[in-house]
Amino acid sequence: MNQNSFNPKARWDRFEPDKTGFNPDSLNERIEVLANFKHARIFPKSFLWHDKEYVIETITYNWQERIGQALLNYFSVLCAGQIYQISFNNSTFRWQIDKIIQ
Amino acid sequence: MIVHIDMDAFFASIEEAINPRLKGRPLIVGSRGNRMHTVVCAANYAAKALGIHSGMPTRRAYSIYSKLEFVAADQAKYIWTSEQIFELLKGFNFPLNYASIDEFQLDLSGCPEPKPVSLGKEIKAQIYANFNITASVGIAKNWLLAKLASKLNKPDGLTVIDDSNFEQVLRKANLDKLCGMGGKNGQILMAKGLKTCWDLYLNLPEFFNNNPGKFDEDPGKTNEKPKSVSHSYTLPRDQINHQVIMAWIRLLSEMVAIRLRQQDLVSATVHLWLTGPEICNFGAQKAYQVSTNDGYEICQRALKIMEKLNHKNPRIRAIGVTCSSLSLNVYQPLLSEEIRREGLIQALDRINNRFGEGVIHPAITTLTR
Repeated sequence: MNQNSFNPKARWDRFEPDKTGFNPDSLNERIEVLANFKHARIFPKSFLWHDKEYVIETITYNWQERIGQALLNYFSVLCAGQIYQISFNNSTFRWQIDKIIQ
Repeated sequence: MIVHIDMDAFFASIEEAINPRLKGRPLIVGSRGNRMHTVVCAANYAAKALGIHSGMPTRRAYSIYSKLEFVAADQAKYIWTSEQIFELLKGFNFPLNYASIDEFQLDLSGCPEPKPVSLGKEIKAQIYANFNITASVGIAKNWLLAKLASKLNKPDGLTVIDDSNFEQVLRKANLDKLCGMGGKNGQILMAKGLKTCWDLYLNLPEFFNNNPGKFDEDPGKTNEKPKSVSHSYTLPRDQINHQVIMAWIRLLSEMVAIRLRQQDLVSATVHLWLTGPEICNFGAQKAYQVSTNDGYEICQRALKIMEKLNHKNPRIRAIGVTCSSLSLNVYQPLLSEEIRREGLIQALDRINNRFGEGVIHPAITTLTR
């Protein structure tokens, strides 16, 4: 495999300076999630946020990011016509709602 | 035979997959969150149809169409998707080349009975099934033509260039579609009257024939150390505050230094370039006897170079730090101060590797946030 010809991580460096600015869309609040862990993959089914249950109709996309030794699993999920981004940190076992996608 | 896979409006397609409401609407992905002070990182096909393209300032894009949908770029999801596509393509068991974040090449030259068209269809179907995004596939005898073919029927295209349609395709393809002909080279050749790829073929047939039809698998070449390592940043607006400019130079120096240390390299030459309304394009470099991969030292060398500026307090728009004259790090620190400094850098690297890059950083770089 000629994998050395391009390395996406070197080009899209994670130490990108502009990422930490104030973002009014970000929520970063802890939530409770009901999820299936199947075949080394995670399928969130519903989440509880501010005492309200949100049933996940579709996972529109999912992706991962490694921050230090922690692996973060991100999901964009559709609940009652609204899309939310939620994430799971596999080192702290914390689920959180990251933002509401407009 | 090369199969070139080029993702269609990659970043914008991922954003459309995440938020299906955006599908079909003119959408731009901005490289920063501030929609009026950034550049278009990617545009979907609805936006491209309006004349909006990557690299355009967003302010200009909004002047073309004020109701553009905007999403700030999030590298993590693009990198992850790109790596997953690479993993998926590995499953086809052909020599594979990671050409860029959204381009991949398969080499079928060793295959006794290649069926590139059915393979191309299968790849497109699997990418769509897994990621809900489309790719265009180009098939030709060498990578240059395969890349050209992938561009001809975008989006979601599959194009073969073979002996039967070689002339016809090249006559139809404008010269700027060819890899390497988008910039000054293309302009020079176009000024000489070469309009299509066929015109170039008639004048320079070796340009098409000399490109390899299979990958260069010389292992020595892929393990070569880089010639330079650099980072640059364009500020959202002109910056006159000297402290903030210093903070950016420090941050870029740290980013360069981290990459040097990851590859166990040290650098003897530091190059600084700055752009701004008063100074236009300033660039200078200085070579030192002692090589380094310490961000603080690189920053100090860059600031020394900055003193060469004739202007006392210029406005700065873009900054770049490059380290060259690279060699392997074989230097053992002897002085106690050097040993302490080395220990500090190693400790900082361990913390950032454990908790994420930039978790611990020089205090001055907070001015960049």
